[in-house]
Amino acid sequence: MPGLSLKGVTKAYGATKVIHGVDIEIDKGEFCVFVGPSGCGKSTLLRMIAGLEEISGGDVFINDQRVNEVDPSHRGVAMVFQTYALYPHMSVEQNMGFGLRMNGRPKAEVAKRVEDAAKILQIEELLDRKPRQLSGGQRQRVAIGRAIVRDPQVFLFDEPLSNLDAELRVATRLEIAKLHRQLGGATMIYVTHDQVEAMTLATKIVVLRQGIVEQVGAPMELYSNPANLFVAGFIGSPKMNFLEVSPGADGALQFKDGRSINVTGKANNIATVGVRADQLRAAPLDAAALTGEVSVVERLGDAEFVYVRTGWGQEIVVRFEGGADIPVGSEVGFNLSGRTHFFDTDGAAIDGLTVASH
Amino acid sequence: MALEATHSAGSDYVIRKPLVTPRVRRWIVSVLLAAVCCIWIYPLVWMVSASFKTNAAIFASEGLIPSEPVIDNYLRAWNEANIGAYFFNTLFVTVGSVLLVTIATAMMGYVLGRRKFLGRGFIFGLLVFTMFVPQGYTIIPVFELLSMLGLGQSLWGVMLATTGGSFVIFVLLFAGYFSQMPDELEEAAKMDGVGFVRTFWYVMLPLSKPIIVTVIVMQTLYAWNDFLLPLVVTLANPAIRTLSVGVYAFKGENFVDWGGMTAASTITIVPVVVLFLFLQRYFIDGLAGAVKG
Repeated sequence: MPGLSLKGVTKAYGATKVIHGVDIEIDKGEFCVFVGPSGCGKSTLLRMIAGLEEISGGDVFINDQRVNEVDPSHRGVAMVFQTYALYPHMSVEQNMGFGLRMNGRPKAEVAKRVEDAAKILQIEELLDRKPRQLSGGQRQRVAIGRAIVRDPQVFLFDEPLSNLDAELRVATRLEIAKLHRQLGGATMIYVTHDQVEAMTLATKIVVLRQGIVEQVGAPMELYSNPANLFVAGFIGSPKMNFLEVSPGADGALQFKDGRSINVTGKANNIATVGVRADQLRAAPLDAAALTGEVSVVERLGDAEFVYVRTGWGQEIVVRFEGGADIPVGSEVGFNLSGRTHFFDTDGAAIDGLTVASH
Repeated sequence: MALEATHSAGSDYVIRKPLVTPRVRRWIVSVLLAAVCCIWIYPLVWMVSASFKTNAAIFASEGLIPSEPVIDNYLRAWNEANIGAYFFNTLFVTVGSVLLVTIATAMMGYVLGRRKFLGRGFIFGLLVFTMFVPQGYTIIPVFELLSMLGLGQSLWGVMLATTGGSFVIFVLLFAGYFSQMPDELEEAAKMDGVGFVRTFWYVMLPLSKPIIVTVIVMQTLYAWNDFLLPLVVTLANPAIRTLSVGVYAFKGENFVDWGGMTAASTITIVPVVVLFLFLQRYFIDGLAGAVKG
């Protein structure tokens, strides 16, 4: 049963269209992440669901009820803002209970709900403090607490981790994942530009670009079967290597330096080959599909990312096991192994092909 | 590239010694400021000094410290010249106008600073335009307005007229401050189901404390010291005079009671000085905040 669905939703500011007909179904209890580069419309979409932004066209349904014109506070949604948006002059307790108090809930009920939320987030000892006396991570919790207190059907998170430092971001990411399980049944919609957050948190990812949904699916589905060049390049770190190819002799695919690979399956119209850093294997230079000179090596401990400059000047990244110690400046060769992706001239993925030999 | 450039420059880089050390520089600045301060404060000190002298001694050029200090001036000012009654008139006018001005300008500033509506620019323009109209030109129409409202002869009228003085500046201060507030605060309140008026009252207004304090202090100073407007309004009714007008009464047709006038003036400014001493931190913060804006 869908907890929330968008049907042909559009948004325009005057003549400028920023959302071009978006259709998304989000089931109850799902953790859905909207991801995309800045300016792709993901925050706008979230704000339209929240009711902070008017819907220019299409419909938004929450629990099968059309909510286009419903007041934000009556949609059963709660929002956690990127900047937390805590009321600076109120204590944590007042911040969390503000909405309930203003809507005339009895004092005892407000206190109970605030207390329960504080317990879930482990911020009970912070209730008397003002927001300025809290660290970034604590403020984030209070902001989430303010959402929990409202007991919403749908939680909306607008880039909630982007104001935290790297370490705290990872910790809070885990907290949010736990929270989702703890609040069982709560639908969450989460906006981020960080594909790692999307991959780690989501049960469903919606990849957006320029107001259009590029692909919807489970994290690993998007990783393994990206629908197009954009999704392939956006999901996964480091970024997928894209190699331009042209048709060679006997249906082979030729790289810019003349080396080629053979493909099994119907290989029409292939313009780009995509291969992730961990799907390239070192090979002797004379038997390699790709060769190049090592320009930079990033040592991460468990892995080494080696940047190789090919004969035609493109830089590709290859993953080696930690301790491989590839010298910078050396000439190396690779074969394509495992999953290789193929894209046509329009950037759409072509299925059913594998690399045969070269 | 930039790294290389700084690196090559590093070899022949010469450290230039300052002419004066920061410590000496601080000294020079302090002495200069002290000198300016002395000139600035001289009229005020002269006034306080004169209030302790007899009328004859004031012009005997005996220096700032009275040779034979007297307090007759103060007694005369308080008892004969009705300064005591004027004091309470002024207090009424000041407190009333401060309350009215603070609430009204905050509300107006909030709407002008945060809401986009048709004619907003026009209203802003109109407000700014009125700042260029000298007070003297508007006094007669204001007086006529008060008369039409039946307030021409009452303290309420003086109070109401006094609210107009810096109204526009305060509205602009509030509008500027509110326009800087993050939208998320209002949006969070909206998500919480808190309406427009209550968002203003419970969320935005408490956050504008620096501006509120600035407005209170500035309006207090203005209302307390305003002269021309209360002079005109109270012309026919000496009982509702304010202090600044009352002080003026020491100037007779043939004789000016300088001692009484300076004593009355000193009584007049004491509350304002005390207020400033207590609120100067907020006052300066508020103005700095408004300018940084």
